[in-house]
Amino acid sequence: MLSDVNPLDPQQLRLWLQGAARRDALAFRLLYDATSSKLFGFALRILHKRELAEEVLQESFVAVWNNAGSYQSHLASPMTWMTTIVRNKAFDLLRRSNEATEIDGEQFDSEVLDALHDPQATPIEALEMSADAKALAWCMSTLEGAHRQAVGLAFFHDLSHSEVAQQLAIPIGTVKSWIRRSLERLKTCLAKRERA
Amino acid sequence: MNLRDNLPLREKLAAEYVLGTLKGGARRRFEGWMHNDAALRRTTSEWQQRLAPLAEFSAAQKPRAQVWRGIERRLNLTPPARFWQFWRNESLLFWRALGLASTAIAALLIVVLAGRTLEAPTINYVATLTDEKSQGAMLLTADSAHHELDARLLAGVAVADDKTLQLWAVPAKGAPRSLGIVADNHSAKLTLPAYAIGGDVALIAVTLEPKGGSRDPNGAPSGPIVYKGNWVKLM
Repeated sequence: MLSDVNPLDPQQLRLWLQGAARRDALAFRLLYDATSSKLFGFALRILHKRELAEEVLQESFVAVWNNAGSYQSHLASPMTWMTTIVRNKAFDLLRRSNEATEIDGEQFDSEVLDALHDPQATPIEALEMSADAKALAWCMSTLEGAHRQAVGLAFFHDLSHSEVAQQLAIPIGTVKSWIRRSLERLKTCLAKRERA
Repeated sequence: MNLRDNLPLREKLAAEYVLGTLKGGARRRFEGWMHNDAALRRTTSEWQQRLAPLAEFSAAQKPRAQVWRGIERRLNLTPPARFWQFWRNESLLFWRALGLASTAIAALLIVVLAGRTLEAPTINYVATLTDEKSQGAMLLTADSAHHELDARLLAGVAVADDKTLQLWAVPAKGAPRSLGIVADNHSAKLTLPAYAIGGDVALIAVTLEPKGGSRDPNGAPSGPIVYKGNWVKLM
């Protein structure tokens, strides 16, 4: 059934993005409808304040419309392309405004991990993630908790090695090797899942 | 340092560039290398593809409606003129707006119909389908008691010989359901299924299909919508 199609289906998003590149306002609206909640959740995760996250979401979609023509589908999936825009805009805003954000040193993405460990309690489908994100979630779950946290701190909070070390109160050398190893393991794990 | 031959280093730097831990001068140097090294750019976008889905780990949250209005205002977006190929969307805002416009036209036509061609009082649904310029293009009359649906093109509307018009009931949710084709591109007498006039029908649409109708294996439309409109129920 068409109605069962995942709203983040890359094929569908790509069509809308191509539509937006042709200045098709309806396609752009549909792209917004399908992705804005997910992207807003991400912006909120970085910025913690709704007004800031909304500002970033708005700027991001203006950039999506203005740059849709240069989107290259062989280099990145539509969600990858759009989340990269949101992430850059969010970090830009933080740097511009000198806004201090909370850094959550909490267990990294407990919701996603719970869903992976106990699909009965929270089906991973309920999180509305693309297939790429599900694969990554699975591979992240194979990392050690503290390593996963180091990766998450860097990704969501734009932290350097030394800042991550400060957050976790561990030596910088340890952070460097955790992150290096985590990235290598993720690469191997994702490649395996792709071949499977 | 010869980066070109150091594969593990290229991987490490690309990954840390994407993750964000490569900062300051090292980051700018890396960007300089990417500029002249297509393979390094590819390695970097592969890492982007691997790590960007982290963004989806956060729960979805609905932004306020004013965000979209702000985008619309900043980009000066005009109302969409193209509407085909969007069967899959659940957003019916657009369809509903169309429905309203054609309802008014249909109401006008009923008067004309009642005076001329309405032979049997059993016709209880009428729809005027309009083209993208909101010009009337096709008239539907339906008799739900006898399950009859009559479709005819209005004067001045032409269809290419190698194409066929196909009628669809578009529900608020789910895929459009075919009501049949207008085989001679002029008029057709069709059977009226219950789903054609059900409460969940958001729109009646006509698509331009290959001769004989859509060949989509799932029974979905394959061509653009050319006319659309909504039922008006008669008293």
